[in-house]
Amino acid sequence: MNVIEANGLGKRYGSTRALRECSLAVPEGHVAALVGPNGAGKSTLLNLAVGLSAPSEGGLTVLGGRLPGSLGALDGIAFVAQDTPLYKNVSVGDMLHLTRNLNRRFDQVYAEARLGELGIPLNRKAGKLSGGQQAQLALTLALARRPRLLVLDEPVAMLDPIARHDFMATVLTAAADDGVSVLLSSHVLAELERVADYLILLSRGRVQVASEVDDLLACHRILTGPAAEAETYPERQVVHVRRGGAQAHLLVRATANDSVPRGWESNPVGLEELTLAYLRAPAAALPCPAPAEVLNRWR
Amino acid sequence: MTIGQGSSDPAGAANVSPEGDSVPVSPIEFRLDSASGVPTYLQLVHQVEHALRLGYLKVGDQLPKVRDVVASLAINPNTVSKAYRELETKGLIVGRPGQGTFILATLGQVALPELTGLRRSLRGWLAKADTAGLDESGIVALVASELRDFYERRSGSGTSGGAADGESEGVA
Amino acid sequence: MPPRLEENATPRPLPWRRLAWVTWRQHRIALGGVATLLGVLGLWLWIVGLQLHHAYAAAAACHPASSAACQNLIATFDSTNVFLKGGFILQPLPALIGAFVGAPVLARELETGTFRYTWTQGFGRWRWALAKLVLLGAGVAATAEAFSLLLSWYYQPYVATGNQSVFSSPSPLSPGLFDLRGVAFAAWTLAAFAIGALAGILIRRVVPAIVATLAAYTGLALLAGNVLRQHYLTPLVAKNSNIPGSAWVTSEWWTKGGKFAFGGRPPLSLLPQLCPSSFQTGTGGPGGVGILGSGSLSPTQCLVQHGYTQWADYQPASHFWPFQWIEGGWLLALSVLLITVTVWLVRRGAA
Repeated sequence: MNVIEANGLGKRYGSTRALRECSLAVPEGHVAALVGPNGAGKSTLLNLAVGLSAPSEGGLTVLGGRLPGSLGALDGIAFVAQDTPLYKNVSVGDMLHLTRNLNRRFDQVYAEARLGELGIPLNRKAGKLSGGQQAQLALTLALARRPRLLVLDEPVAMLDPIARHDFMATVLTAAADDGVSVLLSSHVLAELERVADYLILLSRGRVQVASEVDDLLACHRILTGPAAEAETYPERQVVHVRRGGAQAHLLVRATANDSVPRGWESNPVGLEELTLAYLRAPAAALPCPAPAEVLNRWR
Repeated sequence: MTIGQGSSDPAGAANVSPEGDSVPVSPIEFRLDSASGVPTYLQLVHQVEHALRLGYLKVGDQLPKVRDVVASLAINPNTVSKAYRELETKGLIVGRPGQGTFILATLGQVALPELTGLRRSLRGWLAKADTAGLDESGIVALVASELRDFYERRSGSGTSGGAADGESEGVA
Repeated sequence: MPPRLEENATPRPLPWRRLAWVTWRQHRIALGGVATLLGVLGLWLWIVGLQLHHAYAAAAACHPASSAACQNLIATFDSTNVFLKGGFILQPLPALIGAFVGAPVLARELETGTFRYTWTQGFGRWRWALAKLVLLGAGVAATAEAFSLLLSWYYQPYVATGNQSVFSSPSPLSPGLFDLRGVAFAAWTLAAFAIGALAGILIRRVVPAIVATLAAYTGLALLAGNVLRQHYLTPLVAKNSNIPGSAWVTSEWWTKGGKFAFGGRPPLSLLPQLCPSSFQTGTGGPGGVGILGSGSLSPTQCLVQHGYTQWADYQPASHFWPFQWIEGGWLLALSVLLITVTVWLVRRGAA
């Protein structure tokens, strides 16, 4: 089952197109990271997925074919928006009560136990909690609903490192224990490799990359060699070039088994470096080649 | 790919209280060096192998549960599963459903004559490298990159060694 | 962890009663504020109302009515709580209640961003909006109706039959009093609430929405009171001398010899022409009619002497309840329409 499936999805606000021709199919059981520069359309895509806005063109379904915003989708998806909105004047205990009333499933025992572990008192007003505590509260409320998909919009942007770590640990533990799929948008590239096993790269409103991280890393290499020869590499396979006077690094689509040209060195690439390279080269959006396609066009 | 290899613990809070583990399940605890450039799952694999070599882990010991590793390191559960699968492929561990993951065997010991032979040829190669002008960090870099490629090719294609032409010199 | 309950792709909606606690918890301050306001006001009205009823009883029981002592009592009654007499001072109440309860329902969610939490919960956003608006609207209308009973009790001495000729009391249909009593007060409160809800989702900020609600309500109230209400039923026509004291006069005109002469006030030039000795032109009083001279003929007497007859369109007191139902009816319909539009806007996607 695909937790998110998009087909030619587009969203327009007035005359600006926030998303265009987006097609995706994210399978369940993954922690998918949505990455892109500011204004790329990450929040727009997430808002569409949880039903807070409607597409201008194309189609989007969630949880195996349900329409976003429908009762079936609302039931199975929990959303924690940016700045973790909570009712500031409502106590923590009342927030639990509220969420319980508004949903079909609510694990009160889990929620109270979790808040107890975190040291968040039930009678304090939500607005008086620290930033990290508010984020944890919002996350607890979301997870207590026992969703199948957890959607997080830049959840850790405002948190200090410890709060950030605890937050992500909670999210990932839920994925481990309960099989919750996760879709989160993030700016923190350094943590991607540790956290995500599916990567969606948005660039200028288009989906540049949408693939499992393992597959992605397996079909990219960094080739290091003489700068003079860099041009002759088949352009279709090159994602990004960094060059000095004499030496150049090419991020190419190739596997570890592909032959390396004489005088060149092939190394694996990490997720952060790969992501940055794709973000710097917005036009490079071709899928990985099948393994049979090898670098034999090199002269 | 499914998540959740370890058994679910309803009162899982017991192992992740803020003050630390109440009763550790496993003799070892994983750590993560995010700056090392080594993929996370490989770090876990190496740490198990290292612990085996140093004697922290013996046959029959239990490895940390997937969800506990996830909770303490904040890493993807599939990464932990992948590391445990890799170790299982190497024949080092075995997963018992409902109970956990346990050490099955220690690392294969290389026979003494073989070890001596390997040492001798390594000494010879080092002398050659030194003559060629490679300094210590150059040697380390060369060995590290070849090692990496060697294992990647082996795990990627399933056969030993890929077709790397015109590069590596034999170590003999 | 308990296993996830079986979920299916098209679950049934959650029961409506779940929203009762939610609505109470989120709006208890606004509702409490309304209750306090009406409570305090009600208490005070009860106190001064007892005063008024007392004065009325004394004046009504006094015979003969023309004696000096009785006139004194009547004057006392007439001057009790004069500022409440016309009813205008209480007119803003429905607007305030409706605006302060209605506008924040949607505007606060949108302004603070909490809609991102609320509208992604399992209840569903348009059902959430509908349940809240219906619950709050009904609550606010019921409270207003209860308060309106107190108001009816207070104004009872003024509108009792036969009073207007003795006491200088306003007609029950007069603009100040009409919508404080009967069902109109509750209907106006509900309408203000509905306007507030719609303003909330259109404007998305609480304070501007409240201001816009008050402005829209004022416009609507002026329209209803000055233009619409007099046409609910065809007015009766009679000579001014025959009009009962409790009637609400909606227009006046003068005829002479069976033909229409002028409407409303006499033209400036006419009175000095007809009764020169009674009037001196000059600065005159407000309206420029001129100052009464020693002849002391009132303008009306002067005109009547010269053969003019005054006529009036009026609505009799017996039209009070039909008017209440008519006005209450269209206000209710308007409220339902506005709330429907608001819920439709929520459903369509406000983010």
